[in-house]
Amino acid sequence: MKPKETIGPTPAARAGKLALLTLPFLVGLFCVFLTFVPIGSIVGIEVAPAFALMAVYYWAAHQPETFPPYAVFAVGLLQDLLSAGPIGLWAFTYVVIYGVVQTQRLVFAGRVPLVLWTGFALTALLAGTIAWSVASLYYARVLPPGPVLLQLIVTVALFPIFATLFARVERILAPSL
Amino acid sequence: MQDSFSRPAPPILGVSNRVSLIFMVTLAVALLLLGRAETYVFDQARQVVTDLAAPVLELGSRPVAAGRRLVERTDEFAYVFDENERLRQENAELLTWKEKALKLQARLARYEALLNVQLDPSINYVTGRVIGDTGGPFVETFIVNLGHEHGVESGQAVVDSEGLIGRIVSAGERASRILLLTDLNSRVPVTIEPTRQRAVLSGDNTVWPKLEFLPAGSGVVPGDHVVTSGHGGLMPPGLPVGTVIQTENGDLRVQTFSNRNRLDMVRVLQYRFPMDVPEQNPPAKLTAPVPGEESEEGQPSASDQNGALGGTAGGTAGGTAGGVVRGSLAGAGGAGE
Repeated sequence: MKPKETIGPTPAARAGKLALLTLPFLVGLFCVFLTFVPIGSIVGIEVAPAFALMAVYYWAAHQPETFPPYAVFAVGLLQDLLSAGPIGLWAFTYVVIYGVVQTQRLVFAGRVPLVLWTGFALTALLAGTIAWSVASLYYARVLPPGPVLLQLIVTVALFPIFATLFARVERILAPSL
Repeated sequence: MQDSFSRPAPPILGVSNRVSLIFMVTLAVALLLLGRAETYVFDQARQVVTDLAAPVLELGSRPVAAGRRLVERTDEFAYVFDENERLRQENAELLTWKEKALKLQARLARYEALLNVQLDPSINYVTGRVIGDTGGPFVETFIVNLGHEHGVESGQAVVDSEGLIGRIVSAGERASRILLLTDLNSRVPVTIEPTRQRAVLSGDNTVWPKLEFLPAGSGVVPGDHVVTSGHGGLMPPGLPVGTVIQTENGDLRVQTFSNRNRLDMVRVLQYRFPMDVPEQNPPAKLTAPVPGEESEEGQPSASDQNGALGGTAGGTAGGTAGGVVRGSLAGAGGAGE
């Protein structure tokens, strides 16, 4: 397509690279499905960690170009459609979080795990507040904050495991960026 | 290539990035506002997505079910002696109850015959597995792997082995959504035994749904049994729901028999309100003279379908027929006791 790239990679290689670049988005979709798997029923407690929030946060902090805003929106919308809540709730929350985290990218440039984790804890708190406020407005009543808090705590606790997995995906991607 | 990976992040967002970010936020807000109007399109889209996702969710729920069984097995092994002892005791108690139940059933069959009560049509059910969790803290719905192809329709009651869980709110071809009793949008008409007080069981996203529209001085006390009343015709009457509890601030709430955190296999009841049941004229029952025999065959439908659900089911299941008959039946029952 571009005239400058006369000695570029072969079409197959380019297609492979393109496929590789959709990997973060696919990971995001996978995280949404994981949210709906009744994991909590194994131990008999109610947990639905916001796995997709982890993905949105991680990529916004590290490689936002591989996870553009419309992909974030799509991930949120899928979660909205699969859950029975207000449509647009998670799409809105994730896109806002994505925007906010992206403006703070310099903080995460050093790649210190603890900084990343602390950042996530704050982000999760913000996300929970946004989602809770929007849902409360939507249903026109003050929703009990307990379930959201529980979800946040579990999500933040599980974040390091997922951050490690995301970092592995990022390493696979690294050559094609 | 290598140093593009380690370069510091650009401090300012790209213009196109920012534009698309703003666009997406606007789109999400627009969706929220449109969705508030509860449009048909959104519900359809949601059902289509749920149907498409069902195979994936089903795949994901398999290892979870296996893990659960493993945990439960381990639990059972640990408590097998205690459990055995408890069951023996319970069995002895239940045998006494069985005697009583048989006697009462015979008497009930006789009264029904005298009053020309129209029996419930038998309720078919389909059994399925919960494949999707709530997926968030604001809704209390599960996805079950049953749909139109299994005869599941919106509004049908869903039970597990302990009692009522909720009802189907939207049904697709292969998967449907269960609205749990605890959800904000759940309202179920119930009757509280033994006072026969009516109320509405109303979820508010907490663990214990509230009892609403209960008159002051209704005589309902913690420990009373709550069963579905069948008003509105959506659910069969007499399904066990839970026990009345009182919270610290004096509210009457219900501890459901079913445990939402342990849901696995569930039953969808395909109940149809008996509007067009043919009038039994002349009363067929009165032609059979021996009450003892009647009790064996007289009421198979109601007791069969509710048998697995616990003792309270049979007691009220006979009262489905029209309002006039119900009233007189309750009167006769009271006099009989």
